[in-house]
Amino acid sequence: MSVLPYAVAAWLFGVGLYGIATSRNFIHLVGCLGVCQSATYVLLLGLGYRWGSIAPIFYDHPPGTPAVDPVMQALVLTDIVVGATLTALLLVLTVQAHKRGGSLDPEKLRPMRAGRKSGRSQDTSRGDEAARGAR
Amino acid sequence: MTILLPLLLLFAAISGTAVVLVRDPNRQVFAIAANGLVLTILFDALQAPDVALSELAVGTAAVPLLFLVALMAVRANASGEEP
Amino acid sequence: MSPRFRIALLVLAGLVLMPAAAQVMAALPPFGSTIARYGARINAITPEARHVANMVSAINFDLRGLDTLGEEFMLLAAITGTVVLLRGRRGEGTTGRAMRLPGRAVIPRSDAVVLGCRIAGPLTALFGLYVVLHATVTPGGGFQGGVILASGTLLIYLGEGYAGWRDSIRSHWLDALEGGGALLFALCGLVPMLTGAAFMQNILPLGTFRDLFSGGLMLVENLGVALAVTGGFTQLFLEFMEETREAEEPDEPGEESA
Repeated sequence: MSVLPYAVAAWLFGVGLYGIATSRNFIHLVGCLGVCQSATYVLLLGLGYRWGSIAPIFYDHPPGTPAVDPVMQALVLTDIVVGATLTALLLVLTVQAHKRGGSLDPEKLRPMRAGRKSGRSQDTSRGDEAARGAR
Repeated sequence: MTILLPLLLLFAAISGTAVVLVRDPNRQVFAIAANGLVLTILFDALQAPDVALSELAVGTAAVPLLFLVALMAVRANASGEEP
Repeated sequence: MSPRFRIALLVLAGLVLMPAAAQVMAALPPFGSTIARYGARINAITPEARHVANMVSAINFDLRGLDTLGEEFMLLAAITGTVVLLRGRRGEGTTGRAMRLPGRAVIPRSDAVVLGCRIAGPLTALFGLYVVLHATVTPGGGFQGGVILASGTLLIYLGEGYAGWRDSIRSHWLDALEGGGALLFALCGLVPMLTGAAFMQNILPLGTFRDLFSGGLMLVENLGVALAVTGGFTQLFLEFMEETREAEEPDEPGEESA
C-alpha cells in the first residue's frame, strides 16, 4: 500500500507513453497524452496525502487540525485548467494537419512542403507561389 | 476507509489504460470522460476538493466536448472534400 | 521510423527507466505517512496571517501568486494560439449552420430538453458564481468556477440551438474578458509597487476569517482569473464549434479574406 499511488502514477505514465508511441490517430494520441498528464496529478496528490488528515480548508475545522499538503493541490489545480487549454491547442493542430494532409495517421503524414497540392484552392495558389520563389 | 483509496487508485489505473486501449477516437471520448470521473472521485478521497472540482469541470465536461467537436470538425472536413 | 522499431525503442527505454523508477519509489516517503514541511508550515501560519480558510487559494493567489501569474499567461497564450490557428484560416463571419454534418438528420429539440436547459442554465451559472466568489472560504476559486461558468453557456447551445448560442455569445466580449482578466491579475501585482510595497504584496484589508470578504488582494486576483478562464474556455468552445461549419459553406464571404 505504501507505494501503490506511486506505482499507479508510473503505470499511467508508462501506458500513456505506450499509447503515444503506437497511436495511429492524432486525436487518440492527444487522449493518451492526457493519461500521461493524469499520472502527474496522481503522483503529486499521493505525495501530499497523509492518513487521518482533513482537506486544507479550515472552515468546519479550526486552524491547527492536521491537514494534507496544500502546495501539491495548488500545483495540480492550476495544471488541470491550463492543461485543458493546451489539449485544445493540440486538437486544433490536429484538425489543421488533417486539413493540410488529409489524414490523421502519424505514419501517413508527410513533411509540409511549399508547393504541395492541397485540397483547398487558396492554399494551392499560395503554395505554388512559394514553390516558384523557392526555385 | 483504508480499502477505499487503493480501490480508487486501481480504478484510476484501469480507466487510464482504457483510454489508451480504446483505439477508435469516437469511443475514446467516453473513456476519457469516465477517466475524468474516476479521477474526480479519487482526488476527493485524497482530501483535495479544490482539485476534484477542477477535474470534474475540465475532465468530464470541457475536454470530452473539445474532443467531440474536433472529431466532428475532422469529419465535416473529410466529407466536404471527398465529393 | 517503422512502428516495430519504435516499439523496440520504447521497450528499451522502459527497461532502462524501470529500475530507476523503482528506486525512486522506494526512496519516496511511504504513502500517507508525512507531508512536506513547507505545506505543513503554510497550514499552520496562513489562516492567521492572511485570514483565509482555503489554503489552496491562499497559495495560488498570495503565497505563490507569481506562479499563478505565469499560469495565467500560459492560459492566455494557449487560447490565443488556438484562436489564431482557427480564425486565421476561417475569418470572422458568423452563421447559424455549424455543428451539423451533411447527411445526418437534424433531430428537433423536444420541449423537455428546452425546459431542462432553461432551468439548469441559470442554476449552473449561479453555482459557477458561487464557486468563484467563495474562493477564500470553501473549495473553489476562479479556475474551477470559470470552467463551470463556461460550461454553463453550453446549455444555451443545447437548449436554444446553435444560432441562439451564437447570437448570445459575442466573440469580442470574450476577447475582452480573457485579456482583461489577465490584465487585472498583472495589475494586482503592479499596483502594490506604486504604494511602495513589493510585487503582489497583499496591501488591501484582509477582512475577517471565514467571511466572504477575506483575503484582501486575493479576491481581486481571483476575479481576474475567473474572468480570464470563463472568457477563454467559452472562446475555445465557440471557435471549435465554428470550425465544424466550414465544409458545408465553402463560399463563405469571410473565407476568402483569410
